[in-house]
Amino acid sequence: MARALIRRLVFGIIAVAGVVVLAFLLEFVVPGDPAKAIAPRAQSAAVLANIRTQLHLNQPLIVQFADYFGNLLRGNLGTSYIQRQPVASLIGPRLLTTGVLALAGVIAEVIIGGALGIAATLYGRVRALVSAINLTLLAVPVFVLGLLLLLLFGFRLGIAPVTGGTGPGQLVLPALTLGLIGAPWYAQIVADQMQESLASSYVRTAVSKGLSDSYILRRHVLRNVLSPALTMVGLDLGSYLSGVVTVEVVFIWPGIGLLAVNSLHNLDRPVVMGTVIVGAVAVVFFNLFADVLRMFVDPRTREEA
Amino acid sequence: MTAGAAEQLSGAALELSDLNVKYGAKVHAVRNACLTVEAGQVVALIGETGSGKSSLALAAAGLLPSSATITGRVMIAGQDVSAMDRPGFRRVRASLLGCIAQDAMAALNPVVPVGRQIAELFTQHARMSRQQAAEAAVAALAQVEIRQPAAVARLYPHQLSGGMRQRVMIAMAVALSPPLIIADEPTTALDVSTQAEILALIGELREGMRSGFLWITHDMGVVAELADWAAVMYAGRIVEQAPVQQIFDAPAHPYTQGLLQTRRDLRSGAAGTPLFQILGAPPAPGDEPAGCPFSPRCPRATDVCAESDPPLEPVAAGHRAACHHPGPSGAPGETPAPAAAAPAAEGEGS
Repeated sequence: MARALIRRLVFGIIAVAGVVVLAFLLEFVVPGDPAKAIAPRAQSAAVLANIRTQLHLNQPLIVQFADYFGNLLRGNLGTSYIQRQPVASLIGPRLLTTGVLALAGVIAEVIIGGALGIAATLYGRVRALVSAINLTLLAVPVFVLGLLLLLLFGFRLGIAPVTGGTGPGQLVLPALTLGLIGAPWYAQIVADQMQESLASSYVRTAVSKGLSDSYILRRHVLRNVLSPALTMVGLDLGSYLSGVVTVEVVFIWPGIGLLAVNSLHNLDRPVVMGTVIVGAVAVVFFNLFADVLRMFVDPRTREEA
Repeated sequence: MTAGAAEQLSGAALELSDLNVKYGAKVHAVRNACLTVEAGQVVALIGETGSGKSSLALAAAGLLPSSATITGRVMIAGQDVSAMDRPGFRRVRASLLGCIAQDAMAALNPVVPVGRQIAELFTQHARMSRQQAAEAAVAALAQVEIRQPAAVARLYPHQLSGGMRQRVMIAMAVALSPPLIIADEPTTALDVSTQAEILALIGELREGMRSGFLWITHDMGVVAELADWAAVMYAGRIVEQAPVQQIFDAPAHPYTQGLLQTRRDLRSGAAGTPLFQILGAPPAPGDEPAGCPFSPRCPRATDVCAESDPPLEPVAAGHRAACHHPGPSGAPGETPAPAAAAPAAEGEGS
């Protein structure tokens, strides 16, 4: 079990390193001159050349990469071109902000999706309604849903704040958006697993033991649904932490995604790189986290793999 | 009140009267079954796949899906469970009957330790605390001769051997000492030596309890070893029932005789002699012939067999058969040598 985790950790580190290389190369594919972005009004070529020298932009690509990678290994993400601050100190608070949103979003999608899946399984009459809801949510683009919610709850009903920010009030709509977009996947997985479990021989055994329906549901059925759902929670937490760009832009939620978009506009390469690396690490970490959690809820996975 | 209590005590472990199980309009899985399992007895229910033996057992255990239509009366230890509503039956069922499934691996929850799966019987039905129930579960495991029961209680089903899992199932079924235990081919999935161990265990457990067993099987060897009574099913009907010795010594129904003949041939095992087999196949559910369902395959079939379905009637003391021409094999109109009988019978039938 420990061995399997170590193996996955090693693969994870290799994956992150690969992402670093790719992201670094992509930086140079993006057209534009960072020096001009830093000093947009500087007309003199000498000033721009000076900036390029300062940032080592005039050195060969391989040297720049070696420099960057060396710094990275020492835990140094570099300094923002525009804000003149260490990238780590820019990303740190944003990571927390996005983390709050990611966690709230995952909780929302688990609750909404879980409720839809359980309802569809237990009550035949709402099954068609649930699949209609699922299809609709799958078809709606994130920004459309976000704007609709903002329009309805923010402007029309006036019960949610429409200005950006990180207060608890401002968290509700973006979290709800993430929850609604992610819910159909959870609804599907919960319904499938529940149906399989309810038809299983061990549930028949539980019935033959005279256990009540709600007891069987809690102790025998839902425990078997937990494991696949947890895997998805791990995947979602990782991918949301790497930036829920659309949602953060729509709701002006100052997280990693918003930072990444702004930095891309400004050709602020160190910051873009920082957000990409943090995202990759988050994905790897939460997948590992989900694996560990699954070992707790499903004893069979402890010996496998 | 006193009369009711007395009735409860004196009632048979299981009493089925006129039990019918239908799936949809066409499939009549069990037809007018009457069967009694006395306390302390093992009644073997014998039949091929599709004969309705599992439907009968599941109906008796109240485990059929709601899509099945059940009529008739099911009495367990003097209590009419067919008259109870679902929640009413649920509350009493664990104290009335225990079930042993065929495939213990599938019948145990893969993500719950086996000890807890036994313990929940005690917390839910015997009002024990979790701690007490856990101890009682360990005791139940010890009762089915599992060594180091406390350690095994913490294991999950996939960590146990097939025989151990079946022991856990048995421990669960007998935990509350119910008057009736329904076992659905509990040794079929096991290898031969484990099978023998499990049969020996059941034999020992029987000694200490008054429970009646309904034992579903297609293995005549198990029947001979364990059962007091046997009931043979064919196409949803109980076609013969008698004390086991009677079934083996003087089977009256030609189908039972065929089953036993196959077994005898297997035992004597003379190389080169063709194995006796009952020609043809059982009718598909919902597509049964008129009259006796066995008549198309029966060496004794006459015109009356194609016209009316014979009822289950006494042929000797305690011995009943559903056949228009019951009697020992080799009766008139039947060629005694089985290998030769089959083709001859076909010729006669036309």
